[in-house]
Amino acid sequence: MSKIGVFVCHCGENISATVDCAKVAETAAGYDGVVYSIDYKYMCSDPGQSLIKSAIIEKGLTGVVVASCSPRMHEPTFRKACAEAGLNPYMCEMANLREHCSWVHEKGDATTEKAIDLVRILVEKVKKNHSLNAIKVPVTKTALVIGGGIAGIQASLDIANSGHKVILIERDPSIGGHMSQLSETFPTLDCSQCILTPRMVEVAQHENITLYTYAELESLEGFVGNFKAKIRRKSKSLDEKICTGCGQCTTKCPVKKIPSEFNEGLGKRTAIYVPFPQAVPNKPVIDRVNCTYYIKGKCKVCEIVCPTKAIRFDQEDTIVEAEVGAIVVATGFTVKQPDFFPEYGFGKYPDVITGLQFERLASASGPTLGEIRRPSDGKVPEKIVFIACAGSRDPAKGIPYCSKICCMYIAKHAMLYQHKVHGGKSYVFYMDIRAGGKMYEEFVRRAIEDDGVNYIRGRVSRIYEKNGKLIVKGADTLLGAMPVDIDADMVVLATAGIANEGSEELAQKLHTSYDSYHFFSEAHPKLKPVETNTAGIFLAGACQSPKDIPESVAMASGAAVKVACLFSQDELTREPLIAVVNRQAAPVFSSCVGCFLCVSACPYQAIEKEEIKNRTGEVIKTIAKVNPGLCQGCGTCVAFCRTKSIDIQGYTHEEMYSEVMALLNEY
Amino acid sequence: MDELRKRAKELLESKTISVVIGYEEGTCNRTRALFVEKPEEASKLIFDSRCVLNLATYITKQEVKAKGKMAIAATIPVMRSIIQLAYEFQVSDKNLLVLGITPESNLMEFKDLLEVETYIHKFEIEINASYREKLDKLAGMTQTERWKFWIDELSPCFKCYACRAACPMCYCHRCTVDFNQPQWIPVPSHELGNLEWHIMRAVHLMGRCIDCDGCANACPLGIPINLLNKRLLEDAKRHFGGYQPVLKGDHLMSTFKPDDKENFIR
Ligand SMILES: Cc1cc2nc3c(=O)[nH]c(=O)nc-3n(C[C@H](O)[C@H](O)[C@H](O)COP(=O)(O)OP(=O)(O)OC[C@H]3O[C@@H](n4cnc5c(N)ncnc54)[C@H](O)[C@@H]3O)c2cc1C
Ligand code: SF4
Ligand code: SF4
Repeated sequence: MSKIGVFVCHCGENISATVDCAKVAETAAGYDGVVYSIDYKYMCSDPGQSLIKSAIIEKGLTGVVVASCSPRMHEPTFRKACAEAGLNPYMCEMANLREHCSWVHEKGDATTEKAIDLVRILVEKVKKNHSLNAIKVPVTKTALVIGGGIAGIQASLDIANSGHKVILIERDPSIGGHMSQLSETFPTLDCSQCILTPRMVEVAQHENITLYTYAELESLEGFVGNFKAKIRRKSKSLDEKICTGCGQCTTKCPVKKIPSEFNEGLGKRTAIYVPFPQAVPNKPVIDRVNCTYYIKGKCKVCEIVCPTKAIRFDQEDTIVEAEVGAIVVATGFTVKQPDFFPEYGFGKYPDVITGLQFERLASASGPTLGEIRRPSDGKVPEKIVFIACAGSRDPAKGIPYCSKICCMYIAKHAMLYQHKVHGGKSYVFYMDIRAGGKMYEEFVRRAIEDDGVNYIRGRVSRIYEKNGKLIVKGADTLLGAMPVDIDADMVVLATAGIANEGSEELAQKLHTSYDSYHFFSEAHPKLKPVETNTAGIFLAGACQSPKDIPESVAMASGAAVKVACLFSQDELTREPLIAVVNRQAAPVFSSCVGCFLCVSACPYQAIEKEEIKNRTGEVIKTIAKVNPGLCQGCGTCVAFCRTKSIDIQGYTHEEMYSEVMALLNEY
Repeated sequence: MDELRKRAKELLESKTISVVIGYEEGTCNRTRALFVEKPEEASKLIFDSRCVLNLATYITKQEVKAKGKMAIAATIPVMRSIIQLAYEFQVSDKNLLVLGITPESNLMEFKDLLEVETYIHKFEIEINASYREKLDKLAGMTQTERWKFWIDELSPCFKCYACRAACPMCYCHRCTVDFNQPQWIPVPSHELGNLEWHIMRAVHLMGRCIDCDGCANACPLGIPINLLNKRLLEDAKRHFGGYQPVLKGDHLMSTFKPDDKENFIR
């Protein structure tokens, strides 16, 4: 006989303000099998939990119904309390009187009636419940980091230094990401490459890190602790083991006019190339789209000049399969290009450039060796205009958010310009100056006060060319929207930071969610900023939203700690709320007829075949079997099985049926 | 069909086959299933236009399987059923030989099920004109009219389960209606319970039913339950591009494809 205890919580006034809790408890006391029923102000408090525990011990309860809030928060609390009093935790159920009743209805009899119904349903369910035990699954202590920008680099190093293996995959031929393109960095103006390169090298040399550049995630299966990743290593047309990185090929390649991605199109590269001198790995790849051999079937100059014979024209992409326990997504961001802005000439003026292009001009390793020269004719601009919020904070352009980093890098750019071009004049059109951060406001003030950058609060309506000058038409809103026209030699747009192309596709491969701007979504905006909704997959850096280097690094270390926490256990404990295929006595063995249509219905590939053999080893029946490690308890197979051979533990057919009948029957 | 009788005799004599499933003359000018185990009885086999019973129903039966390797005289609908059953791992080349009967009533023996699959894919599953008319009429009804139509048609059903017994796809050892812990679908015959049973059955057949009309032919009350299956067959065509039984591949009801039109979810 069941002995059920019902514990009705007031949740302060959250429930009791609209539900007559005493009446709920009283009514429940009258149900068959209920031997104890009580209401209390806060069930989750210590005295509340003690009520439950002592009732279990004193009344010998076989089941508990806590009628309180959503199980999301407190189911573990109450199940643990039950376990402490010696009751199997899965014999404890929660009726959600708060979210499902008191919060959504007015005070009144009907509301109390509904609360009573919710309790009765679960009393009937608990009577059918079975004791269950948690499932243990092993953890593969290798992490996969996707994206080798500063965030991916930091996450990889932190995980590797905590003693775990890391596989880092980077889409481009070198790691480094956007940080490798930057000249100097706010708010300290230290050289970006100088602080980044040592970390890149550390990644390449770390014994715990396997680095795959020119590689992308092909597919992902599995679940936390037990993912199976397929990684596509794109062909570099090169045997990396033999190549010494001497660079003969890149100097001799006849195709020399390809716009360099690293230099944001301001410089040129060859068809066989290393993206930049400090690249890691410092070995070339052949860009097959532009290589003469792949286009016309002739050339092979690189093969001829290569002293180690490392060129492999017939090399194919390879797929590497890896088992990993956790994943850090650090795929970063990208920026809008000038062709997005009709008002600024749709990218047709070569001297209207993006902030990233300015970084390349200001960089000592850039196409002008760090001199600020305009792309059209190489002249040093005497007057330069920086436009903040190009695209950002503009709902009409579909980018209502603030890109966050631009205010700071504009101040940096203007400052670098003033340092490099003595006597030059710089103007910044801005909406607001957002300089929250340690030493950030001071940095902007330095630009304005020490370096004499002219800040004009207002937007630029148009840019057009006249007599070799770029006429920037703006307004100064601090001077009553007084029109301001500047005849500039060069204009730098702080174009919006946006999600990478293909980020949704990657999110879909990972079964994680993304926001309306296609940035990856964190699990909770405040309390779970590096987690995703998929257990075992974490986020780092600008792939979650535009952010600067300190933030990206902090987030990467945060994600690394989450991975290390996961890897600190040898086994993960999982809820036993999974599907099972029934087993019956011989000669039936199971009501499963082995049609295996459930196999394709299962979104987690959790269903396998099981052969039932007789004593002589002969197969007498083949039936479905659910892999407890893979099953997520979604229940799809249960709905699919025609013979009703599958049950979800904790939500069995009988349990669900008794809930439905509890609602339909008269009490 | 002399050819069939001759071949059946040979197969049984050579002991390559233990039982040949075909048709024989029954009572009241009807034909019925025949299980030939002795070569001399092969002469009882017949085939003509009255032979519409879907013989594939028998090849999943334990007592027939237990006899050893089976050969089956199979018309196109029967072959379709066989392929679907093979897809669901209920029969295989190991225990079944198909003696096909072409639409022109010629014998066509298949080396294996792969050949059968290729052969049946030459024929689309098509709904004939008289059923077409009935379906269109149903589709033209208002929801209330259609509800009444089905309540009227289905309420006399007394759950003899003849439809289930005649259906080759209803091979489950435990049908959903036989599942009694809990009894989701009520056993007694009453309006809603009958509706539940037939709708459940139609849904379980979606993507599997090959439109042989066995169920409707078997119903002693002549309830046109096959209209439900035919409608689903059409829906499958409209929303998912239709289906043909295959030996390997995706099951219509359990696979998501990005190019599914999905315009029924609005
Ligand atoms: C003009 C400009 C100036 C800036 N100046 C400063 C500054 O002075 N100080 C500062 O703190 N911050 C600055 N920033 C911000 C800084 O660039 C970012 O904070 C930083 O680059 C973010 O690092 P990340 O690793 O998250 O992303 P990224 O640097 O974008 O790196 C992402 C990496 O992932 C790779 N990747 C992308 N998709 C895939 C995929 N599907 N598979 C595998 N790999 C993939 C990319 O190739 C890339 O290597 C500036 C930004 C801009 C645009
Ligand atoms: S084959 Fe010729 S074009 Fe292609 S990378 Fe080698 S040298 Fe350059
Ligand atoms: S409940 Fe069934 S369908 Fe869902 S994950 Fe588990 S086995 Fe797969």
